[in-house]
Amino acid sequence: MKDKRKYPLKVALHGMDGRTYKMMVMYLQGPCKGVAVVVEDLNAEVDMIDADSAKAKTLIEQRLTESARPIIALSLQELTFENILSVRKPIKTDALLFALSEAGAILSAKKTSSDPVRSYTEKTVLSQSQESIAQTESRLQPEKDQLKNQATTTDEQNKTSKHQTAMQFDEGKFDAYIGSIPGLNVNDPKQFANAAYNPKDYFQGYVQSALKVAEAKNQVMRLNSGWKPLIIIPHNHEIWLDADDKLLRAFASLPMNKISGLKMTLTRVGSNLKSIQEDLEKIHNQDVFLWKLAVWTSKGRYPSALDINRAVFLKNWPNFTRLVVTPHALRISALLIGGSRTLPDIIDVLKIKPQYVFVFISAAYALGLVGQAERKADEMFQAPAIKKSEQQGLLSRILGKLRGNKS
Amino acid sequence: MSQYKIIFTGPVGAGKTTAIESISDIPPIKTDATANDMTKIKKSSTTVAMDYGIMNLAGGEKIHLYGTPGQERFDFMWDILITGGIGLILLLDNTRADPFQDMKFFLDSFQKFIAETNVAIGVTQMDLSKKPTINDYHSQLQGMGLKPPVFSVDARAKNDVSLLVQSLLYSLDPGIEE
Repeated sequence: MKDKRKYPLKVALHGMDGRTYKMMVMYLQGPCKGVAVVVEDLNAEVDMIDADSAKAKTLIEQRLTESARPIIALSLQELTFENILSVRKPIKTDALLFALSEAGAILSAKKTSSDPVRSYTEKTVLSQSQESIAQTESRLQPEKDQLKNQATTTDEQNKTSKHQTAMQFDEGKFDAYIGSIPGLNVNDPKQFANAAYNPKDYFQGYVQSALKVAEAKNQVMRLNSGWKPLIIIPHNHEIWLDADDKLLRAFASLPMNKISGLKMTLTRVGSNLKSIQEDLEKIHNQDVFLWKLAVWTSKGRYPSALDINRAVFLKNWPNFTRLVVTPHALRISALLIGGSRTLPDIIDVLKIKPQYVFVFISAAYALGLVGQAERKADEMFQAPAIKKSEQQGLLSRILGKLRGNKS
Repeated sequence: MSQYKIIFTGPVGAGKTTAIESISDIPPIKTDATANDMTKIKKSSTTVAMDYGIMNLAGGEKIHLYGTPGQERFDFMWDILITGGIGLILLLDNTRADPFQDMKFFLDSFQKFIAETNVAIGVTQMDLSKKPTINDYHSQLQGMGLKPPVFSVDARAKNDVSLLVQSLLYSLDPGIEE
């Protein structure tokens, strides 16, 4: 049998302590040249078991009865189990590569001999349903998703979008990037009251709601919007969407009226999701996706749930290397980490256009990073003044250098 | 002229040498040697003294980029390196057995320096090991009473390293402008 697989084998490791586990991850990546990658048990195609571990016997018996996956056993002794590929310790690269190749060939043979598994969506409502996402979900039966194992992949290195470095914007380019709301000048303090938006009126709100449901159920789900289907993979904190940023940006800014909003449905997904596994570059980290969706929905406005005259706080720094870095986002973060402030106060202290504060707050709020002081007592304390560094000029020159150098 | 430094630290294999290389204007001066101890499990060579790079600023000023040797037996050098430092970049390897222990070790070791300046943390190899997550790091840090920037970083990506250093600078003074 010859294994002609295009992608690395997905291997789950069993019976190994933390250190051995990490070393095997590196061994497969290094000496074995990435022919196999270690993934979570749910997503694996092959089981690799340390047959010398204390629980080895139980593990092997369990795997043989409960799983149809090929098993590779690593042992100091020659093993006599049937249906198990054995590799003697100390492990030699050639021997392990041979066992992996055999496992791959077994999988290929199984695939060609059985009927192709069809993707299916367990529709709980018709697309014409007039029910909300929450109501739809409440109808779902708490049935165990038997095919969840196949619905995701952790082949991380092929998820290029997910690990893409951030785009950092300066003011000029950003204005064109987010666009504006006709008839509204968010930078005019007199119009601040009108510069709020409700995410629930847009695709953003539906995505946030769907994420919560999928997370609570720990279930792969599809958000059907009449546009492009969006698939939520909660256990990997991922989203799959067959649309580029340009399309998403356009859709994000469309208000969902009652009719289009009511067409939104959330359905349970149980399948091998072949399209996902073949299009790993369309997988996004949930936070990265939601952040940019909020940026495009906000268009420089702030979430209506926030009282503009009450102080907000930032729980922790956003993971900026993977997010759209809006103008002055790093400065705003540093300021808010130092103490809570109202939005007008941030604008005043940093001397920046309100739209940049509002858009950052909108994105961070979507991720749950921004909160508003609940207690009156919290607002009684004035935020500390910025401590001006004696090296401000030098720091500014370093920043200029770094910003000019960004790739 | 004053010597301005940014210090890069972290365990063996976290990407200090690569990160310095990403933003240095000169090919970094490396003091790597063939690894012949536990370090060999992680990589074939390692930094035994320090790495050194330079950022040339307008007006002729230079920012010196120093990478500490990752092995703990060289920690006597750390005090010498941090003198005159602007701030600390801590890089952590997410594939190591206990990255939190690494983080605590380096934060404790540089406690005084961090209190006087600031720290930004970059977590590398997250494409190989998804856990702990960035949120897990924040939870650990909150328990230590710290709220520094924590970013996932590919040390080879100039933009990632640049953003991490920028966050350090803004932490020092949010009022600075380009």
